[in-house]
Amino acid sequence: MQGNRDKVRTDKNAYTWTGLGLLVAGTIVVLTSMLILSSLVWLTALGIAMLIMAFILLALARTIPRVTPEVGMLLLETGIDNIATVVEELGIKSKPVYLPSSLTGGRPQALIPLHINPSLPKITSALPRRFIVRYGNGPDDVGLLVTTAGTVATGMLESTPGPSATQLESTLASLFVGKLGAADRIRVYVIEPGLRVEIRAPRIQNAGTWTHQCLDSSLASVVASVAAEAWNKPFVVAKEEQHGRTYTVEIEAVE
Amino acid sequence: MKIYNNYVIAVASLLLLTTVVLVAIGANSLDVYYTFYVVEALVVTELYVYFNARARRSLTLVSAVLFAGFMVIVLSAALKVLA
Repeated sequence: MQGNRDKVRTDKNAYTWTGLGLLVAGTIVVLTSMLILSSLVWLTALGIAMLIMAFILLALARTIPRVTPEVGMLLLETGIDNIATVVEELGIKSKPVYLPSSLTGGRPQALIPLHINPSLPKITSALPRRFIVRYGNGPDDVGLLVTTAGTVATGMLESTPGPSATQLESTLASLFVGKLGAADRIRVYVIEPGLRVEIRAPRIQNAGTWTHQCLDSSLASVVASVAAEAWNKPFVVAKEEQHGRTYTVEIEAVE
Repeated sequence: MKIYNNYVIAVASLLLLTTVVLVAIGANSLDVYYTFYVVEALVVTELYVYFNARARRSLTLVSAVLFAGFMVIVLSAALKVLA
């Protein structure tokens, strides 16, 4: 019941209305051309083109998410702010380590060590599926295992991403450009010991917020989680910066 | 959904441009217009590889309907030749 209330339905979106409009207009144009204007070929063809566009728009209208982008952003910011509050209140200064699903026993998640270690945590076996986890033998090897935007985004992938830069670029493009509609273009470059990902015209803006000081941005989180899954290695976000319309994320594999 | 908008604009522009060009060269057969429309729609749909699975399924259905129309044209042309 609660779940039903939380869903914001926009059944009749712009695509539906445009599609219906073109369907009616196209039918009128074709019929007028064939019955009244003695089969004026170019006008009939124009009517057929309108009908083709109507079918395409109506087909796409069925696939548009029923939750508006504004609601999606609201839920995302609420979740991130809550985690960031916990991180800030605990006085955690260390950055998240993005783990592949093989090290979390389920789906890729981020580990935030409670204490800053001289070296990044080395995790060799799957961690228990709990919020507070012990990842090593040392007394300070305790951290928070949190779900990030990357966790959910990797769940949207149809298969495990390949490890090469081209495969990773294709996977990230299908996510950011196709499924999420959050960017225009993705470029992936291999830079030892990790990757540099350039996201053209990102539509998620959270750099500079206080949440961003505690955790990485949602874009970086998605990039690092997908890379962790592809390489089956933990990753950390080394650098994030905006240059004009391009957002650059540099991530490093944790050996 | 920017990718949807880009796709719709690409297909609409191509169909309109095709109509203008075919009118300009004096094409007088509805079959020619329809064949160009279907081929262009199928090619553009294939080029948009980053569509999500649901959109791809829906567009495959539209492509199948358009292709069925194309096959009707081909069959009628073949019957004319045989008759």
